[in-house]
Amino acid sequence: MAQTQTAGARPATFSPRRILRQRRSARVLSVVLFLLGWQLLLPVLPTALIPAPAEVLGFMWDEIRGDTLGRTTVWEAFAISLRRLFAGFTIAFLIGLPVGLLMGANRWIDRMFKDFVLVGLAMPSLVWALLTGLWFGLDSGATIITVVLAATPFVIINTLEGVRDVPRELTDMARSFHVPRTHVIRHVIFPSLMPFFFASLRYGLANGWKGLVLAEVFAATSGAGWNIRYWYDAHRAQGVIGYAFFFIIFALIVERLVFQRLSNRVFRWRPSDDVGPDELTAKELDQYGVAAGGDVAM
Amino acid sequence: MAEIRIDHLHKAFGQDEDKVIALEDVNLEISGAVFVSIVGPSGCGKSTLLNILSDIETPTSGSVSITQDGGKAKIGYVFQAARLLPWRNVMDNLMFVQPERDDAARKRCREYLEMVHLEHTVKKYPAELSGGMQQRVGIARAFAIEPDVLFMDEPFSHLDAITARGLRRELHEMWKATRKTVVFVTHDVGEAVELSNRVIIFGKGGQIREDMTLDLPFPRDAADDKVALAKANILRRFEELDLIAR
Repeated sequence: MAQTQTAGARPATFSPRRILRQRRSARVLSVVLFLLGWQLLLPVLPTALIPAPAEVLGFMWDEIRGDTLGRTTVWEAFAISLRRLFAGFTIAFLIGLPVGLLMGANRWIDRMFKDFVLVGLAMPSLVWALLTGLWFGLDSGATIITVVLAATPFVIINTLEGVRDVPRELTDMARSFHVPRTHVIRHVIFPSLMPFFFASLRYGLANGWKGLVLAEVFAATSGAGWNIRYWYDAHRAQGVIGYAFFFIIFALIVERLVFQRLSNRVFRWRPSDDVGPDELTAKELDQYGVAAGGDVAM
Repeated sequence: MAEIRIDHLHKAFGQDEDKVIALEDVNLEISGAVFVSIVGPSGCGKSTLLNILSDIETPTSGSVSITQDGGKAKIGYVFQAARLLPWRNVMDNLMFVQPERDDAARKRCREYLEMVHLEHTVKKYPAELSGGMQQRVGIARAFAIEPDVLFMDEPFSHLDAITARGLRRELHEMWKATRKTVVFVTHDVGEAVELSNRVIIFGKGGQIREDMTLDLPFPRDAADDKVALAKANILRRFEELDLIAR
């Protein structure tokens, strides 16, 4: 295990304590302990239908190699689901963004749509999945529409929060220097909306995905959600658990490879944090002398 | 030469019972390369006056005119909190308020950053700077548009005493070098005495209560007898005008 040496430091030691102290070790360890615990608890668990970790991992490995007893491989299933997700989310965005902008900018429009948005946020995606299955038939119709219904309220609410949160102190500053409106939009308003835009992307996609999987269970004949239903119907627990793990891995990949990277690039001006939420809290804005508390009015 | 004329300026907020008079019949003329301080207790309308002068607010009645040699004057503003764009680096922050975004502007920005000794921070983001440095960037930003008139709203009140002292000196040097018309709002009488050649006292209810010139030579040291005396005189005047709670 390679360890960098600084001048004058003690020679690198392969000490357990040192390895344990590293951040990644704790995470790997938790996974290992979980698998170990699972394996050890098997004999005492109430039902025979709980597979061993090895069975689940074996199933997952077969799926990855394309050797499946299901109708589609995991790759095909996810490809189908992702196509539906992106189609649905694009529509959700095209609807949600302008509605959110208008609601944020205009009190009257806000009052008009507010209750619908709240209902949308509170509604369990399961209801959308069942209703769309009834009304729009199987596969693309029901699944894509479920994504739209599940994601749109989240796009709206985060967009309207962004519009409401445009830092007044910065637009005032721009006004006092007579900066032209286009520059204000480009350099003040648009960047200040970015954290909220990210939040709407993140939450919209997350909820859209959850809605999609449910719709695929109840109202589809293909896709990742349908696959999990297939293994459930076949009474194969390792299939259900295996696919659950595939979902988790998928979510982690999207989070780390897509959102984290994008976020690091777009928000490179932020003071470095271990992990931070996307939205700028009032406290963070205050640090840069931008919040309402920063200036005394009179 | 820059000229500021304020005629019968009146500003009220709210209606009826909730009506608050922020400024009452303010008349003021400022011209030439003067450093004018406006002092007064909290809530006396000083910041409201600056907001009206810089177009952030509109007066209820009365008129304001800020001209340079007869034409519209260029105005720079330094705020209490630096108000930098957190998502742009220092150079981009200065360029943001420049009327033309060309090489000449870039060169000017660099020169003023050198004046505040921050030329090495051009690529840094505001979060990477201390409070004092951010404020100096704010000052450089205002100076870099080469304004005819500079408004400063308690720019050092958020900083610690030592940083503020250093920045006051830097500001004085920059004023001496560029000879602008500066209107400086502060609640710190000592600061007003250190920097200005004219002090205007605002009372509660937004009226001008006193307008005095300070003829002491620069640079002024707070330890100097004459400077200390001037400060004491102004504070006594505050008491006489019933502006200090007893």
